[in-house]
Amino acid sequence: MSDALALSDVAKAGFIDLRRGRETAEALGHLTGCDVSVVLAVLGVAAEPDVAGSTLFEMFSADPELAVRCGSDRAWFEATVRVIGASRGLGEFLTRHPERIDGLRTPRTDFDSPEEMTRRLLASVGADSEGIAARDGDAATDALRCEYRAIVCEIAAFDLGAEDATTVLDRVARALADAAGAAIEASLAVARATLVAQGVARADVSNVALAVIGMGKCGARELNYVSDVDVIYVAETRSEDALSTEAALTHATKLTQLLARGIYEPGREPGLWEVDANLRPEGKAGALVRTLDSHLAYYERWAKNWEFQALLKARAIAGDPDLGRRYVEGVAPQVWTSASREGFVDQVQRMRERVTDHIPANEVDFQIKLGPGGLRDVEFTVQLLQLVHGLHDPRVRLRGTIESLTALGEAGYVGRDEAATFADSYRLLRVLEHRLQLRNLRRTHLMPTGDEDVRVLARAAGFDVASVDLTDLWRSTKVQVRALHERLFYRPLLAAAAALPEEGLNLTTEQAQARLAAIGFNDPKGALAHITALTSGVARRSTIQRAILPVLLQWLAAGADPDFGLLAFRRLSEALGESHWYLKMLRDSQAAAERLMKVLSGSRYVSDLLERLPEATAWLDGDEELEPRDADSLRVEIDALLARHDTQESAVAAIRTLRRREVLRLAIAGIVGVGDIATLATGLTDLSRAVLAGFVGAAMRDAAHNPEFAIVAMGRFGGGELVFGSDLDVMFVYRATETCSGAQAQARAEEIVASLLSSAEDPVLALEIDMDLRPEGKQGVRVRSLDSYEQYYDRWGATWESQALLRATVVVGDEPLTRDMTTLIDAVRYPESVSAEAVRDIRRMKARVEGERLPQGADPTRHLKLGRGSLSDVEWTAQLMQLRYGHDIPGLRTTSTLSALAACAEAGIMTAADVDRLRDAWLLASRVRAAGTLWNNRLSDVLPTDRSALEGLARLLGMPPGNASQLEENYLGTTRRARAVFERVFFDDDARPSVAPTD
Amino acid sequence: MDKQQDFVLRTIEERGVKFVRLWFTDVVGTLKSVAVAPAEVEGAFAEGVGFDGSAIEGLTRSFEADVLAHPDPSTFQILPWRGDVDPAARMFCDITTPDGQPAQADPRNVLKRTLAKAADKGFTFYTHPEIEFYLLNNSDWRNGGGRPIDQAGYFDNVPGGKGHDFRRRAVRMLEDLGISVEYSHHEAGPGQNEIDLRYADALTTADNIMTMRTVIKEVALELDNYATFMPKPFADHPGSGMHTHLSLFEGDTNAFYEAGGKYQLSKTGRSFIAGLMAHAPEITAITNQYVNSYKRLWGGDEAPSFVTWGHNNRSALIRVPLYKPSKSQSCRVEYRAIDSAANPYLAFAVMLAAGLKGIDEGYELAPEAEDNVWELTDVERRSLGYKPLPSSLDHAISLMEDSELVAETLGEKVFDYVLLNKRREWREYRSQVTPFELERNLDIL
Repeated sequence: MSDALALSDVAKAGFIDLRRGRETAEALGHLTGCDVSVVLAVLGVAAEPDVAGSTLFEMFSADPELAVRCGSDRAWFEATVRVIGASRGLGEFLTRHPERIDGLRTPRTDFDSPEEMTRRLLASVGADSEGIAARDGDAATDALRCEYRAIVCEIAAFDLGAEDATTVLDRVARALADAAGAAIEASLAVARATLVAQGVARADVSNVALAVIGMGKCGARELNYVSDVDVIYVAETRSEDALSTEAALTHATKLTQLLARGIYEPGREPGLWEVDANLRPEGKAGALVRTLDSHLAYYERWAKNWEFQALLKARAIAGDPDLGRRYVEGVAPQVWTSASREGFVDQVQRMRERVTDHIPANEVDFQIKLGPGGLRDVEFTVQLLQLVHGLHDPRVRLRGTIESLTALGEAGYVGRDEAATFADSYRLLRVLEHRLQLRNLRRTHLMPTGDEDVRVLARAAGFDVASVDLTDLWRSTKVQVRALHERLFYRPLLAAAAALPEEGLNLTTEQAQARLAAIGFNDPKGALAHITALTSGVARRSTIQRAILPVLLQWLAAGADPDFGLLAFRRLSEALGESHWYLKMLRDSQAAAERLMKVLSGSRYVSDLLERLPEATAWLDGDEELEPRDADSLRVEIDALLARHDTQESAVAAIRTLRRREVLRLAIAGIVGVGDIATLATGLTDLSRAVLAGFVGAAMRDAAHNPEFAIVAMGRFGGGELVFGSDLDVMFVYRATETCSGAQAQARAEEIVASLLSSAEDPVLALEIDMDLRPEGKQGVRVRSLDSYEQYYDRWGATWESQALLRATVVVGDEPLTRDMTTLIDAVRYPESVSAEAVRDIRRMKARVEGERLPQGADPTRHLKLGRGSLSDVEWTAQLMQLRYGHDIPGLRTTSTLSALAACAEAGIMTAADVDRLRDAWLLASRVRAAGTLWNNRLSDVLPTDRSALEGLARLLGMPPGNASQLEENYLGTTRRARAVFERVFFDDDARPSVAPTD
Repeated sequence: MDKQQDFVLRTIEERGVKFVRLWFTDVVGTLKSVAVAPAEVEGAFAEGVGFDGSAIEGLTRSFEADVLAHPDPSTFQILPWRGDVDPAARMFCDITTPDGQPAQADPRNVLKRTLAKAADKGFTFYTHPEIEFYLLNNSDWRNGGGRPIDQAGYFDNVPGGKGHDFRRRAVRMLEDLGISVEYSHHEAGPGQNEIDLRYADALTTADNIMTMRTVIKEVALELDNYATFMPKPFADHPGSGMHTHLSLFEGDTNAFYEAGGKYQLSKTGRSFIAGLMAHAPEITAITNQYVNSYKRLWGGDEAPSFVTWGHNNRSALIRVPLYKPSKSQSCRVEYRAIDSAANPYLAFAVMLAAGLKGIDEGYELAPEAEDNVWELTDVERRSLGYKPLPSSLDHAISLMEDSELVAETLGEKVFDYVLLNKRREWREYRSQVTPFELERNLDIL
């Protein structure tokens, strides 16, 4: 025995507390009779030498004879230290039962067979040939728990002793599942004994055939160290004559309750893990035990799709083997046809959400199991592929994740090498999970953060702490796994499309189509044709597209209309051809490519425009180019265009192109979420204003003499509240000048208007100019002089015209005319007082408009403009308030509906709650209208009834997938509430909370 | 094709079924039936049976007329009343739009949605209805018909009475259809009967009520009688209510039960009652949907006209019944306003929603009513805070119109439709000149 143990040696062994470590080593040397250097070397194999040392000291001090025996057998000594040093939980167990250390004596090369484990556990409770234990109560459960834990110690010793833990992972996980099954078998034997002790006849107990079906990881024989064991129970009587089915079920239910308690209930030897039967038919509400027929009937009639997925893992683990086998065989056909059932696509999306959702924010970066790149990510992809291809191919109908991955590779559904690579990544993640759970025998999936904890984990997993940074390794594995779905699910589609065998892949066209259908393509055949077109050939474009298409397909599948998106992408690609920047952007900028797919699968309006202006695709790379251009820069550009283009024709064409470009910019911004509705409204209004000014400029520059000319914007245009697809409501005004007066001025003004109207006729992106709000409506002249307006409003002006003028803004025109026209308008629209008669007129007109203007057969609850509680109800309410009180309340003198409403609340002439309801309805109807245009490039004033259109709209409004009905409900509810406010406030004088304040 | 469907097709063959009725319910609560030939059943399973939904009350609007009925093979039953001469069978259907979405206006879907909301909170909703109805000689009241078949009273056993025979046959037929009957007995009015359906989850109960109404009418016809579920067919006799016992379960435990609570009521139970009471006036247009319903609600006797609760108070709207001690499972509350002509799917949905609202918001339960509410004066009732239920359909409609709870529960489309339909009924009723007016006024005015 060397007397001077250097602290540096203790440190080398991995101790943290060196002085105590030295003392412990020396003490252990005394107890075992080993040289202290040997003791130190042995302790060095532990993940936590400090813990291993102090635990052993306690244990050996209590039993010096054991210390000597164990110390004299180096392999045994090391195995013990490994287990104790990696698991405080198992250390505590061995301290309670030091005799169990004997089980670690013989180094194992493999585990007991499941039968052998069952035999050991049954023996621990003294079960007879009928499976009835000799003992019941605490003594029996303690015995079975000890035996189970002893087996886990043996498994852990083997696992921790392996050169490379990933190579034995499969066997370890299998052994853990077998041990769990054996424990359940033994607990069932004890339960039978308990039932007999409670007075049930032995023969009756023996006549109950009960099978325990393992689900989840236990069913798949890939269990963790610490995990709930999911089970389903099925029972029947062995002889209807001796025991009725009803009685058999009653006994079986009692047995399963006792069984679960035997495993988990607190006791002197602590419980093992929870036996969870919640996957049974009807979940928690359902009967605990059912007959086989009842199970099968449930799965035929009632079961939801996810229940079949759960059954994919079903395996008989304990109880009557024959009954268990019949159960598994009975449900199997249901599992493998689930991909052909309705709603499979939805369910896949929900499965996918399960992968990414529900991770507490503070855990995202540390989750081994959930989240992108986690264990569940692998499991999801493998299960999805199994369900899609297992429908026709029995070779992939397996339970375990790793064995399935291998089978998918061998059958050619995924690349064989990739299958192997991902199986390795999966194994590494599982090893980390195992080691984490082992340490405190607690169910955890979180990577530790503290240096000390990471060090322990690395030592336990067998890494050289000095040379491997475990956190880095884990992160890089996660990154690799994150690409898994794309590599395994989407990439083989390309090989199938190209009919080029690649890395041993041999996905047939039908199989590829099945995959496309599973993720939401309605026309998988067409989709495959597009994929072929996009990837075939040797051009640089095809090469790059082959590389990126898998991930693009994934994004398209997340959109509202994947089929259309893929087609649009193909067209765009053909249009842009070999453009260097385009291919570079697709290849190098993930964000831009993702946005492009979102836009293409979500909006025909944008797709169609993009086809005309493919180079706009470049904007997607970053937010800068998607910012709306401000009014000044638009004006400057249009002035420059006018200066550059000599002919009217070419100037107009250039302005039209500018307009298409800027509308497209705004539309993309709206879809990818860069611009909110207010920004877009301002952008569209500024743009329309600049474009009209440009057209007027082009019309006026050819004549020697022009009158002063101006355009008054009305309606949403005047209010600065344009949305995609809005008409431009306008009036035209002129004023004679010295050089251009009288009839000549009128004629010239009419020419300008005519020229403007023809300039506006853009066949590609319609620009509707609506002049119906002018004096005398459709019968009136198209343009009037300022004097004529003045006389008209003075003499003939009807109430509705004052009302229309509330939103009038002079948007284009010469400065002096603009000012004078505005003064004129203000006098008309904010009168000092409004007669009761005029108010009644407005109310009556609204009532009449409701009846007359709604198109024949239209459903008023779905009409966005004239319907119940939609745009016109809100606008008329605001306008009536403005007419009546605008003269006294300055805040009401605004052309914007929302500002006017806000001013009503502020002035106390409407309650804040009423204003909120009106504003919500107005905003929602406006947004739905804009989204309708974006969705299918057609202006529609009706909330669609078609579900796919509703779904598309809902996505454009930023709702998650599957919300078509919710959008409909929201819209109908919001407008119903607005209508109630409208009816009260608009028609009823008494409803106002207070009289208008004097200002 | 799955086994259940195979079973249906095989049975049709073996039993020589001549036609199959596909059943569903419209918004008003009328059972609708489309008959198909056996040869069409296979196609119906695969693709559904298309029909013009605009012909059905409230199912669709005219421009989205096409809907599909998908028969549910698990509800297949041979109909017992056609005998063996021309065997017929029935299946309940789910109604979907052509793209496979559940039709929003399918009342069954309304209840399913509400049950799903309860399930999200861990509750299962059970109901147990006591359905009253009158047996009449026939329905032709203009020509001396519409008279009760006997003059007996509550629990009377009428020797050799037709009613006796009737109840025996009806109960047997219901059991043939797989519907368990708890009690059947003679009620207070002449010719009035009551049949109680066994406790079951609300969806099953609602299905069973629809089947039961048809069975009762069929059996009555077989005996040359007529059965009516009209809420108040006789001014002088009690109306036909459908007192319904309600309870919520969390897994296997009754959420209303708490040992040691007053009347063994848990906090959940108390809040549920408070919710029902707070929202009772606004859901009345659903639980009592006809003009005639209000003649029963305000017809005196034991009709629950005021929003009160009590333990053994037969004048209260909500009763917490006596139950056998130690039977925690049977703890429940009885809602007494609902009548036999309600659409059970919608009525159960709004009652559940009202109770859940009480639980969610933690409503406090008002003190129980211990006196006979009817014997109090208006001022006394006001001082005790006993609010009245709506006094007419018109009143009920205007309360429902303002109800977010009802709108949210029914869904906007059904909500709209019910209002439209009920306003029309009220308008048509108001335009009547009744014998009452003629008798009172014609002579003297």
